[in-house]
Amino acid sequence: MTTKEQQATAPGIKQDSRRTDISKTSLFINRAGAYFIVAILLVIGLIIAQGRFVSIDNIRSILNAVSLTGMACAGLAFVVYSANFNDMSLPMTMALSGMMAVQLIPFGIVVSVVGGIAAGTLVGVVNGILIGKFRANPIIWTLAFNMVLSGIVRVAWGGSQIYPDTVAGDSEFAQQAAVQFNSFARTYFFDGALPLMVVVMIVLFVFAYFMMTRTRFGNKLKMVGSNYEAARLSGVNCAKTVILAYVLCSLCAAIAGIFYTSMTKIGAYSNGEGYDFDCLTAVLLGGMTLAGGKGNIVGVFGGVLVVGMLKNIMTLIGISTFSQYLVTGVVFLIVVWINTSSERKLGRA
Amino acid sequence: MKKVLTIVALVLVLMFAVVACTSTGTEEPAAEETAAAEEPAAEETAAAEEPAADTPAEEDATNTEGGAIDIAAVIASEKTTDNQQLMPDPIEKAFPDRPEDPSSLPEDDAGRYYDMEYVGWDAGEKDAGIPASPGDGPQGKKVISIVHGDHAWTTAYEKGMKQACEAFGMEVEVWSPNWDQALQDQLIDQAINAQPDAIALIPLSAENAVQQFRKITQAGIAAFGTNMLTTSDAMPYMAAWTGPDDWAQMRQLADTLGEAMGGEGGIAYITHDPGGSPYYARTYGPITEFAEKYPDIKTLDIQSPGFEAAEVKQVVSDWITRFGDDLNAIFLADDSAQATGAVDAVKEAGRDDIMIVAAGNSKTGQDLVKAGDLLIINYQSAEGDAGLCARTMAEWFAGEEVLPVGYLATDMITSDNVEGFYPTQW
Repeated sequence: MTTKEQQATAPGIKQDSRRTDISKTSLFINRAGAYFIVAILLVIGLIIAQGRFVSIDNIRSILNAVSLTGMACAGLAFVVYSANFNDMSLPMTMALSGMMAVQLIPFGIVVSVVGGIAAGTLVGVVNGILIGKFRANPIIWTLAFNMVLSGIVRVAWGGSQIYPDTVAGDSEFAQQAAVQFNSFARTYFFDGALPLMVVVMIVLFVFAYFMMTRTRFGNKLKMVGSNYEAARLSGVNCAKTVILAYVLCSLCAAIAGIFYTSMTKIGAYSNGEGYDFDCLTAVLLGGMTLAGGKGNIVGVFGGVLVVGMLKNIMTLIGISTFSQYLVTGVVFLIVVWINTSSERKLGRA
Repeated sequence: MKKVLTIVALVLVLMFAVVACTSTGTEEPAAEETAAAEEPAAEETAAAEEPAADTPAEEDATNTEGGAIDIAAVIASEKTTDNQQLMPDPIEKAFPDRPEDPSSLPEDDAGRYYDMEYVGWDAGEKDAGIPASPGDGPQGKKVISIVHGDHAWTTAYEKGMKQACEAFGMEVEVWSPNWDQALQDQLIDQAINAQPDAIALIPLSAENAVQQFRKITQAGIAAFGTNMLTTSDAMPYMAAWTGPDDWAQMRQLADTLGEAMGGEGGIAYITHDPGGSPYYARTYGPITEFAEKYPDIKTLDIQSPGFEAAEVKQVVSDWITRFGDDLNAIFLADDSAQATGAVDAVKEAGRDDIMIVAAGNSKTGQDLVKAGDLLIINYQSAEGDAGLCARTMAEWFAGEEVLPVGYLATDMITSDNVEGFYPTQW
């Protein structure tokens, strides 16, 4: 006889009708997260496109298409995990890093890349200090800072876009750097099977996984994200943790921004537009919640894959763009509902 | 913490100092290049345009006796960044008979889009509220130009507008609502309050343009439409409209592509933002042209992934997987990011046989044409677009008769003539 049954049989004690057993289905869905949808999409893809869907070309195409979003997501996950909702300055971080990298091309490819990454990361330092130390509202601050950066970039470059080969001028050294810069997004390994952008995305995810699960910072981040006050009273340096979360977010966004600029061969203030919400969607699809402290980086990678696979399958089927919005919205709603529902059933929400 | 803040502030200052220094450093040679490139091309242009070349004494060309502006001389002397005419002659379009019910026609019938392609065909008489031309010339006139939003194209447009107005002795201010309809309406109110002599407007929405132009006209200010087509209802409230003939240009692109494809094969379209006039012109312009002249060219798919290279690349890669050898050509609404994405996808798949054409003439597009990755793009001058508007305003101020709808001259850019269009405007 279980404790519940014993209680129920005792005279004068009401029976506790609440469920305390854990639903195995909910547990499975909760653990599988976005990969549950990935598996479904894989099956759909195999049925509708047969051999074409699992071809190396198609898999490379899917991974390549999501690599920029993936890079930015690997960083954004830290911010979402820390319960700071979203980094609205992500688009301008990408644009700024790309434009700085292009502008620094005359000094060589190393200076260009390092300068671009440093410029983008600096955005994270400022965001982190203002939000972590001074407790500014993360949405309002990052949104405002995005506008400030947008203004600075427009003023600095006079509203024009800049091209690596034009900025390089006549110098052979700089022209070589411009060619190298443009080739970043067009570098492949294994006879064209593995793009550099995909490698970088995977490296960033592995790095993020390591940071979240194998370091003291990861543990502190979980505490800060789950319960800020409890973390603070436990002696966690919350400000430092949040600052580092934003720095990592901007670092990843800056790397994505440089690849974006290399891909388009244009440094422009519009680069990265829409990435704030696209990336947040993928992160939430991956099982993280805006409340923070939940989900994991493996799930976020799954969320990124869902985004890429969904678009791929819809184009292969021949669904028009207008209908694609509808299908994407419905799939996202279902995923979020499944996640939330399984969390509730497990008593975690 | 103070130390950290100080370091951050210093790095920020340093960063923008680097930008400022390197910007100056790279702009100077570019300016020299432009000047150097202009000389031989200017001779070519002069040789090609007899009446313009006959214009006397270039330095003094803009002034006639008594200090009045010689409009014809100004028009002939001003050049764009890519060394073309800043204020080309407007082109008048012939209107064929309108079908009885365009909406009943099939999607690939040109008649279905009659009201979009021939905007102004039923504009009728101009509104009585349009002020009469002062007839005293453009000199000293105040003009406010309201554009649609910030973009590299708009920067080039603004440059063209300022250059042209300055040449005519007009004072101009360019305002941008940054793609915000409500803000554009507000800017129109502000412009009316400033009481300029004319307002040039790129409307954000074709439908909303009617009330925008009506409001300007009712305030007793001359309104000029530019660049974006409106509905016919807005035409009576404009002194004139100038801009590119997207439909005709897309038909030209389609003709060249159809010929290159040998009149048969499969084609897929990446569109402009759905809903706007470029969406219809750059999608259904070629579709209807192929249906009429090359019926064996079949439309395989139409997608609107936007203007991001990565998104376009994914769509084109998916098309290659889906259609295989049936995909022979791709028609793009943009020769910049869309073109980069499409070209990368085609190259990645080793499908160099797929022909790609695109609308526009950005540096990216021209570089891709030069490299042989794009078959053709169309010349649609941003500076010239503004220049034509400024010219029309100047002629109207001078009391000259202006076309109610004046189209911008165009050209096709291929690997054979691309060199003549450098340096690019944006």
